[in-house]
Amino acid sequence: MSPWLLMLREMRLRWLNFALALLAVAGAAALVVALAGMGRAANVETKRLMRNLGFNLLVLPGQADLAQYWATDTVKGDMPQSYVQKLAQTRGIGADHYVATLQQRLSWRGLQVVLTGILPERNAVDAGDKAPMGYSVGPGECFIGYAIAKALGLKEGQEIEIAGVRLKIARCMVEDASKEDVRIYTHLMDAQRILKLPNRINTIQALGCLCKGGELEILRGRIAKVLPDTYVTQLQNIATARMQTRHMVEQNAGVVVSVVVLTAALWVALLAWLNVRERRQEIGVMRALGFGSCHVAVMFLGRAVLIGAVGALLGFAVGTWLAGQYGADIFKLTFAKVKPAMDLLPRTVFGAVLITALASLLPAMIAVTQDPARTLTEE
Amino acid sequence: MIRLEQVSKQFPGRRGPVRALDGVDLQIADGEFVAVRGPSGSGKSTLLLTLAGMIQPTAGTVTVNDRSLYALSGQGRSRFRAENVGFVFQMFHLVPYLNVLENVALPGRLVRVGADVPDARCRARGLLERFGLQDRLEHTPAELSTGERQRTAIARALLNDPWLLLADEPTGNLDTETGASVMDCLTELHRAGKTIVLVSHDPGVDAHAGRVLKLRAGRLEGSVPAGG
Repeated sequence: MSPWLLMLREMRLRWLNFALALLAVAGAAALVVALAGMGRAANVETKRLMRNLGFNLLVLPGQADLAQYWATDTVKGDMPQSYVQKLAQTRGIGADHYVATLQQRLSWRGLQVVLTGILPERNAVDAGDKAPMGYSVGPGECFIGYAIAKALGLKEGQEIEIAGVRLKIARCMVEDASKEDVRIYTHLMDAQRILKLPNRINTIQALGCLCKGGELEILRGRIAKVLPDTYVTQLQNIATARMQTRHMVEQNAGVVVSVVVLTAALWVALLAWLNVRERRQEIGVMRALGFGSCHVAVMFLGRAVLIGAVGALLGFAVGTWLAGQYGADIFKLTFAKVKPAMDLLPRTVFGAVLITALASLLPAMIAVTQDPARTLTEE
Repeated sequence: MIRLEQVSKQFPGRRGPVRALDGVDLQIADGEFVAVRGPSGSGKSTLLLTLAGMIQPTAGTVTVNDRSLYALSGQGRSRFRAENVGFVFQMFHLVPYLNVLENVALPGRLVRVGADVPDARCRARGLLERFGLQDRLEHTPAELSTGERQRTAIARALLNDPWLLLADEPTGNLDTETGASVMDCLTELHRAGKTIVLVSHDPGVDAHAGRVLKLRAGRLEGSVPAGG
């Protein structure tokens, strides 16, 4: 009779012990798999939510008057458009996305508006192929702030003219109760034509500072090496909020997984110990019949391996189902990213087997080292 | 031939060491049927397990066929038991999750046999037929009477055809009639050439044994021929 058949028969007899251990392993595996399955969606969702807070790093012309910038959202002076390209192509800055803008306050049809020309985002050369975060306005198009559209009765699809440049309204933006409501977004080239500043920009917005050592002084130092005649400042609240949110999400998931896995391991260890206690005489008989300590160890560790493997497979199925079932409700923006993480299957099985084997190691050692003579002479 | 020379065994106890065997000298010839009798706590089971290589003596030597048993490693003693020793216990100690046939066949995987020897299940089936249990093959131990359990345990002890059979109070949990049939069974095995060492506090076993040893407080007090 093979050791595996022996184990199966034993587990059938003591099904409650087996079921409780299996439940613990499957539960822990399900949680890990569900979190991992939803993890991708969680990451993207967090990024999207954080994107709404805006970019956190500003590169301004060296002569910029910060007081004016904060008061009017515009800046005196400008810099070459090529700066954004130069910055994006430099490795090791510590920022991902760069957006070149040219913005100025101007009077248009009796209203004070902020004209913002933006160039489609450029990813840093070492940031990989990351999705754009901000608006992207096509040439000849514009986005109109809520207050302007309301005051002038503008609608999407209408054409407007600013300083002789004709633009089609691609979007009338929703009320934001901020300066966004008096902003007109255009493509950078259109803004340059309106303001007669060809190939010039006055702000580079960036998103970064998440890496360790990404503090402002370090960033300033890195950017100053590339663009020495600029001034770098950081929107601290946004940077901190981004960092804290991301760390909180990662830490919470890490703590929950650690606690659940540890609890499951302790539970498996307790059940394995109870199993050894219950089988003391059986172990004694096996030894008397001539089964060596290796056989006894295999009996208990093999049982753990079986529980780990079956529990992991069960947990993977349940976790995948949970992620699919509830992921869409939790991540409303990015539910399409909730997919079965098949690449996790071998890691889940290996991890569960390893943890159950480690949890059962001490009970198995107790079984191996127990004195069979003593149990056989017990009444 | 089994030889014990000045074998002593002490166990740690709450009120100091407990001496289970005290300078035991004993020789058991091949094919002998030896009954060791004594009251509870006299060291009978300790003596039996010492003979099986399961309790290392505190002092003295145990020699089996001119080979010192405790000079072997733990693994070596396990192999010695699998190949040479059959065990019968008072509490039967059948594995509860295996049926009768599987219980008897269990030690079969420990010993390699030649191609001419039937496999363990086949041998187990033959033994169970011999002990009148051919209708109980698929039953679990819980479904057997106590007599059937003990006969199953004896069949298991015989599976690897050991020359030495060690029986620890084999009739202790049986009624008189069933106990007598188990003793008849052991007697038959003795006649077939097995060396049997049986420990019991039951005087009824004396009639079956070739020699009866009296053990008291770990010391052999005498060796008398019996009627077996």
